[in-house]
Amino acid sequence: MGGFHIVVLVKPVPDPACYDRVEIDPATGVLARQGMPSVLNPSDRHALEEALALQERHGGRVTLVSMTPESSAETLREALAMGGDEAVVLSDRAFAGSDSLATARVLAAGVAKVSPFDLVLAGNESADGGTVHVPSQVGELLGVAHLANVIRLEVDADGGVRTRTRIENGYMEVEGALPMVLGVRREINTPRYTSLMGVLASLEKPIRVLGAEELGVDRARVGMEGSNMRPGKMSRPSFRRKGERVKGGPEEAAARIVGILRAEGVLG
Amino acid sequence: MTGASSTPGRKGAIWIVAEQIGGKLAAVSLEILGQALGMAREAGGREVAAVLLGKDAGGLADELASFGADKVFLADDPRMEPYRNDAHGAVLARLVAREGPEIVLFGASACGEELAPTVAARLDTGLGAHCTNLDMEGGGLLMMGVLGFGGRVHTEMFCPARRPQMASVKPGMFQPPPRTDRRGTVVREDVAALLEGEKIRLRAVKVVREAPEGVPLEGADVVVAGGFGIGGKEPWALLEELARELSGAVGCTRPALDEGWTSGEHTMIGTSGKTVRPKVYLGFGISGSPHHTVGIKDAGVIVSVNSDARAPVFESSDYCVVSDFRKFVPALIREIRKAKGGSPGEPSTVPVSK
Amino acid sequence: MAEIKFTQQQDMLRKAVREFVEKEVKPVAAKLDAESRFPMDIFVKMGKLGFAGVFVPREYGGAGLGMTERAIILEELGRHAAGLAMALMTHHLGVDAILSYGTEEQKKKYLPDLAAGKKITGLAVTEPTGGSDVAGQLSTAVHEDGKWVINGRKCFITNSASAEVNVITARTGEDAKGRPAFSAFIVENSVEGFSPGREEDKVGLRGSSTGDLLMNGCAVGEASLLGAEGSGMKMALALFTKIGRTGMAAIGLGIIRACLEDGVKFAKERVLYGKPLAKLQAIQFEIAQNRIEYEAARLMTYNAVGMKEGGAGADAEIAAAKYFATEGAVRAAKRTMDLMGGYGVINEYPVGRYMRDALTTISCGGTSHIMQIIVAGQTLN
Repeated sequence: MGGFHIVVLVKPVPDPACYDRVEIDPATGVLARQGMPSVLNPSDRHALEEALALQERHGGRVTLVSMTPESSAETLREALAMGGDEAVVLSDRAFAGSDSLATARVLAAGVAKVSPFDLVLAGNESADGGTVHVPSQVGELLGVAHLANVIRLEVDADGGVRTRTRIENGYMEVEGALPMVLGVRREINTPRYTSLMGVLASLEKPIRVLGAEELGVDRARVGMEGSNMRPGKMSRPSFRRKGERVKGGPEEAAARIVGILRAEGVLG
Repeated sequence: MTGASSTPGRKGAIWIVAEQIGGKLAAVSLEILGQALGMAREAGGREVAAVLLGKDAGGLADELASFGADKVFLADDPRMEPYRNDAHGAVLARLVAREGPEIVLFGASACGEELAPTVAARLDTGLGAHCTNLDMEGGGLLMMGVLGFGGRVHTEMFCPARRPQMASVKPGMFQPPPRTDRRGTVVREDVAALLEGEKIRLRAVKVVREAPEGVPLEGADVVVAGGFGIGGKEPWALLEELARELSGAVGCTRPALDEGWTSGEHTMIGTSGKTVRPKVYLGFGISGSPHHTVGIKDAGVIVSVNSDARAPVFESSDYCVVSDFRKFVPALIREIRKAKGGSPGEPSTVPVSK
Repeated sequence: MAEIKFTQQQDMLRKAVREFVEKEVKPVAAKLDAESRFPMDIFVKMGKLGFAGVFVPREYGGAGLGMTERAIILEELGRHAAGLAMALMTHHLGVDAILSYGTEEQKKKYLPDLAAGKKITGLAVTEPTGGSDVAGQLSTAVHEDGKWVINGRKCFITNSASAEVNVITARTGEDAKGRPAFSAFIVENSVEGFSPGREEDKVGLRGSSTGDLLMNGCAVGEASLLGAEGSGMKMALALFTKIGRTGMAAIGLGIIRACLEDGVKFAKERVLYGKPLAKLQAIQFEIAQNRIEYEAARLMTYNAVGMKEGGAGADAEIAAAKYFATEGAVRAAKRTMDLMGGYGVINEYPVGRYMRDALTTISCGGTSHIMQIIVAGQTLN
């Protein structure tokens, strides 16, 4: 069979448009995420788009893998409507409270379960946590080469990989060979819209749910128990300042501001 | 591969991983060095060491030593240049395993935010990401403050058991240390030995750095920022003109960046962008979402201009001007020119209708 | 009976359509209206996503879905750009004409491009001598030397300037009772003697072109006859009901939703007398009215569409839905404009456009008067 097997790591997250509603339960000090609809992590759409473009070019399969509660499994259906052949949901009580390395452990087990694979793609950051850790750590755990911050990707039919990665004020050109794990930035592409035909097709695509047992992960190495990091106090940062209203029309207010500029010594 | 230990780090040393950009030390490296020195002092005196990986980097190692690092571990080798996560990850992980520091800090630059989790995975230890504040608690336990949900939730994170405790730090959060007349020890490492048995699979072909347009946000005394309320590329020019008058830098919020009105992602201020601490910050057409406000929380004076009297941004500002920026900015430019002693001239005007 | 609900597939579809509309159409809606421009580039994108051939079977390149899915698309489009929705709506008229009445050759020839959005079509019936009075058409088609020669002028035809494939009705003779008989023809705009004429400058629905079609001795082959000779009137009326009025109802529904959502947003944000407008009971009544009309229009529209898909005639239900949703859109727009006070009459806000679009829907697909005649006719029978 020609083409590659590309695994795309995706994650449903609370809709960023609802972040203003996020609340911390004063009694437990824990996040209250109820009532916030789930969407596909915005970065992951770009990873999926890159996978689909490669599939169009080289043939092969695209599998979505996600560590998420079973209740969010249907969000994967939306991703499948964009593209992809099947989805695998890694869900188990034992996974709850995982830090990024424990999460990477579960995801790596999921990738191993759908192996052999040629390429793993992931969005560089997740809208709620933003850690950027997953691509690098999944790569380390799978024992393959990995890169984050990828902004351009070329894969040859023989598995040669050429990438561009974002650095401050510029980029690096880094080469490697499949198999690899790559974390992509949003600027890499423009994700396609979901078509009506895609929605129809998605309802036929399989979504499998695997627990800790089927994955063969050691429960002591995942979830809260398997996490090296522990969360402590949560709070809402406050950036309150004096909020003094500057009165008058544009000219009067402008004169007042100029006075402040002068006092701060920036009028030069 | 030897991992990290579960016993308290030897001598409780605090390490920083330094990064070089174009032959100079990255600003964030000095910032985390400053923080590490401060924490070491407060904890009653601990060893502070810097790790530098590169080629012909002896001079930079000396520089780190002159800023107050007790020790600088220097891995000076052609194979260390340019940065790749496998070459640097291998050397760093082995150094840490050998020396056993208590804490290792990384700057959360593009390279750092990749290198830190790589090393954390190799050592099976904890890593706090994009920390905005750090504090040493009793017994050398590091409190790592991280922001989530677009800047709306602050969480204190800990790595209670595994060592070292690792954290990547957002650029712009801390201050660089003053130069001292101390001179720490530079220890040259045997890179070949550290790379023994390691498969380096990544090939860096090219490094391209483009000088960014305009005054850089970092270190600017004045920042003029615009948000979604600016409404278009044409009115954006007003902000650029104002910035020029004050020799300031131009910044933006994520929505303005997404609209394509600005010169690039390097101008975005916010949780997932830059942190700035100018003497004066002037914000226009910005609603005040925490995502952006986090990036300016340490600015000297914050002046916000918005035509909506109830914009949330006014709660996080020192001075609040309720006005249409299209009227206010030209007035401000005129007043600035008068104050500077020249003729007011005519600032460019922008038609009010879209 | 159970609550009227959409299927999971339809909900997913709506979400996908809404995402496209919000990202691609909403940002340019005001501009399309100001410039009275039909955006071909957006139409092509919609074609790729399956909107243009939503109910065309897969074998002809369509998405193979139905009228409910079509109504969902038109509602979502109408919510932000009713003019563009009108263009798509009209395209569907021509598409279904060929799908429902065409020969296998005609379907294979035209449907793939039309379903993909690569070519645009429409349905040209109205003339200066008859719109509501369809039998007043004067265009003729004469059969001579193995060809049909068409002469006449159509007016108020949507997609006039952009359609490459036109479905046109013309008088071809008389029936057994001596009344004029009409037939339908597929006329490509490359045919000699055919040209789009003047384009109208409309009050609303300005994202679609509307204008004349001129046929000056257009000679088309026999393969261009669509359906049986003499069945043109029956065909047109059936299409108006099944495709035209259902489409207009969905677009009207979209406009009502636009007024409802914008009114709610404004009421929550605008502060007067120290509190949001939404705290004032008078404003709450207006919001409630918009909501009530939206709920009613939604149920009437989707129920009528469902009935038709299930095989019922549903003439009265469809006419009632078209009447209620479009007139309801006019009422909702006025309510929202009034609620917004001074802001309601500033063109920076879209509500003025909602009003103009709503007013213009009244005369599309049959006027409100005609709709009432249809409902009364069926009721009194």
